[in-house]
Amino acid sequence: MRKILALTLALAMSISLVACGGTDASSSQAASSEAASSQAAGSEAAGSEAAGSEAAGSEADAAATSDLRVDVFYYNFADIYISTVRASMDEQLKAMGIEPNNWDAAGSQPTQSDQVNTAITAGSDLLIVNIVETSTSDPAKDIVEAARSANIPVIFFNREVADNDVINSYEKCAFVGTNAPDAGHMQGEMIGNYLLENYDAVDLNGDGTISYVMFKGQEGNAEAEARTQYAVEDADAILTGAGKPALAYYDPNAATKYLVDTAGNWSAQAANDYMVSLLGSYNEDSGNMIELIICNNDGMAEGAIAALQNVGYNNGEGTTIIPVFGVDATDSAKALIKAGNMTGSIKQDAVGMASTILTLVQNVQSGAELMANTDQYTVDSDVAKIRVPYAMYDASSAD
Amino acid sequence: MSNESKSLAAKSGKLDAKRIGDLLVNNALIIIMLVVAGYVAVTQPSFLSPRSLINLLTLTAAYLPVALGIAGCIVLTGTDLSAGRAVGITACISASLLQAADAANKMWPNIGTLPIPLVIVIVVALGALIGAFNGFFVAKFKLHPFIVTLATQLILYTVLLLYVQAGNNNGMAISGLDAGYRNFVVGNPPLLTFPDGQGGQLQIPNFVIYAVLLTALMWFIWNKTTFGKNMFALGANEEAAKVSGVNVLGTTIAVFALAGAMYGWAGFIESARIASNTANTGLNYELDAIAACVIGGVSFVGGIGKISGIVIGVIMLRLIFVALPLVGMDQNLQYAIKGGIILFACALDMRKYLVKK
Repeated sequence: MRKILALTLALAMSISLVACGGTDASSSQAASSEAASSQAAGSEAAGSEAAGSEAAGSEADAAATSDLRVDVFYYNFADIYISTVRASMDEQLKAMGIEPNNWDAAGSQPTQSDQVNTAITAGSDLLIVNIVETSTSDPAKDIVEAARSANIPVIFFNREVADNDVINSYEKCAFVGTNAPDAGHMQGEMIGNYLLENYDAVDLNGDGTISYVMFKGQEGNAEAEARTQYAVEDADAILTGAGKPALAYYDPNAATKYLVDTAGNWSAQAANDYMVSLLGSYNEDSGNMIELIICNNDGMAEGAIAALQNVGYNNGEGTTIIPVFGVDATDSAKALIKAGNMTGSIKQDAVGMASTILTLVQNVQSGAELMANTDQYTVDSDVAKIRVPYAMYDASSAD
Repeated sequence: MSNESKSLAAKSGKLDAKRIGDLLVNNALIIIMLVVAGYVAVTQPSFLSPRSLINLLTLTAAYLPVALGIAGCIVLTGTDLSAGRAVGITACISASLLQAADAANKMWPNIGTLPIPLVIVIVVALGALIGAFNGFFVAKFKLHPFIVTLATQLILYTVLLLYVQAGNNNGMAISGLDAGYRNFVVGNPPLLTFPDGQGGQLQIPNFVIYAVLLTALMWFIWNKTTFGKNMFALGANEEAAKVSGVNVLGTTIAVFALAGAMYGWAGFIESARIASNTANTGLNYELDAIAACVIGGVSFVGGIGKISGIVIGVIMLRLIFVALPLVGMDQNLQYAIKGGIILFACALDMRKYLVKK
């Protein structure tokens, strides 16, 4: 009897829980629709044209929710930049009436390969892949083969498939991303110019050279390699061109001129760990403070800044600012830059990346060639790779 | 019918209800699995398509060896955190020894491509050696396996990081594998190729067969050998086992070494299956394997576990992996659901144990 009572109670509790969940969902839905309508109102105020296109979008939305099954594979949900791309992809795909299936590989190529095969068996119509493994194209090749045997298009994005033959081997295959070395070149240029303008302020110990540390996101990743190399080389070129000495790595005896996230996750945590331990032996009291911090991405830059803030640097007005440079211009990095706690970043245009991919998705939806309607983009001459341009981002940048 | 027989019948009816209840609870996971599978099949009929089922089968086969190995450690009331890194190092070694002769950045240019059986022997032996190392410290110094294997995991990661930077590799992914090797693992025999009815072919890769053989072998070792009996005796009650003449040191080392050999095999398979091997290969495989074992009823209490349970556990985890996205479940929720199932499975498991007590 007591058992039955307990069971009934438990049942009642779980039902009430579900009911609560239900109201929760509906109330949040209401909230979001409210937000949407206020957004619409805002854009109306901003420009009737924008509002018009939005209305058209929602009309199409109402008219026909597409039955195109689109699977998007992200290399890691935990990556900040990738999260912004995901947010913008979701929004734009939903505007097209497509409900994307998002997959998280959590930084593991085996997981991703399994996910791709699973999605194909589930009847996917289009694969959009943010490949995990970039130092070799073999996993990408396997994915292309799987897509070919199922006769569905595959779009790689952001993390480049280096081997052009893999992309070229299948006519329904394309890549959308940046030209990796550009980020490094641009970061180097930005650093060089910044230092020329602020040389004496940056040179804390007044020894005439700037000591720096480089945080590398991952060993063996083409983008990380390029950024690590060119950021320093190009900055050096600008400095020596203006008669200043080249940058000096903080530890002249180091075997490699960078500290790398050994887990290969480009993580803030790794940069933070390094920075905290560096600050123990390299500081102003010993006259060997690190005067410049270059990071492969903004996540690592934020990690380094957090470590600096622990010991009273880079904390707004009145504190000494160690220049920190990142790549990606994520929202949180932008906030840091606007507050003056970070110096610059290279903007990877998440919205632009998403909208470029969307052009290809539309092609698939309308049954056109995968690479149709791409004249306005920068496309490599010998391979179906669309390049989304980078841009510099510092305190003077808009937005 | 007399009153007496009526009450007897009622009694037996009651007994039956109780028995059915027990049966339901004891097989709750299988029932849940079937319910989930049924739900997915109804909402997404493509889930039951042969292609999709073969996908589930191959995924299960891929993750089975590590679970089969780690289960032995759990039966000894232990665990093995070094499994993932052991898979990583053996995968990288397999790949580096079996790169095609003309691969770009061939890691060891002077050795060509070694024969496949030799490489299997090397990596399985290396895995067994790593396991024996774990087992030795566990048995000899009475250290908890959690501590020993945590240490081994870290040591192996260093070895792995150094290894991927060795030779011509410079920390890049080890790829460009020999076609014969990939074919040996992911290729498929004509016997297991079926037409899919739409002009295509359904292919079951070789490593599924290997996984079946491996499961049979492990079943034999666990159930039909003295070593298997000793392992369960030791896991259930070390003192009692010792008194009855079980060699604790030898058995512990052998259990961990057997687990290590499984990781070596898993590394050999994973290497060709994924075709790209980095220092991250194998990361966290042990957690999935441990989860599969406890879901399948291999108890951390020790001395309890069945091979069939492990297989079910692995299928269950892969089912979550395959099914949740199929029904349009948010990927963010996947981890919470996995966690919930592990908790539920273990609670159920302990409940059985407490009742027994």
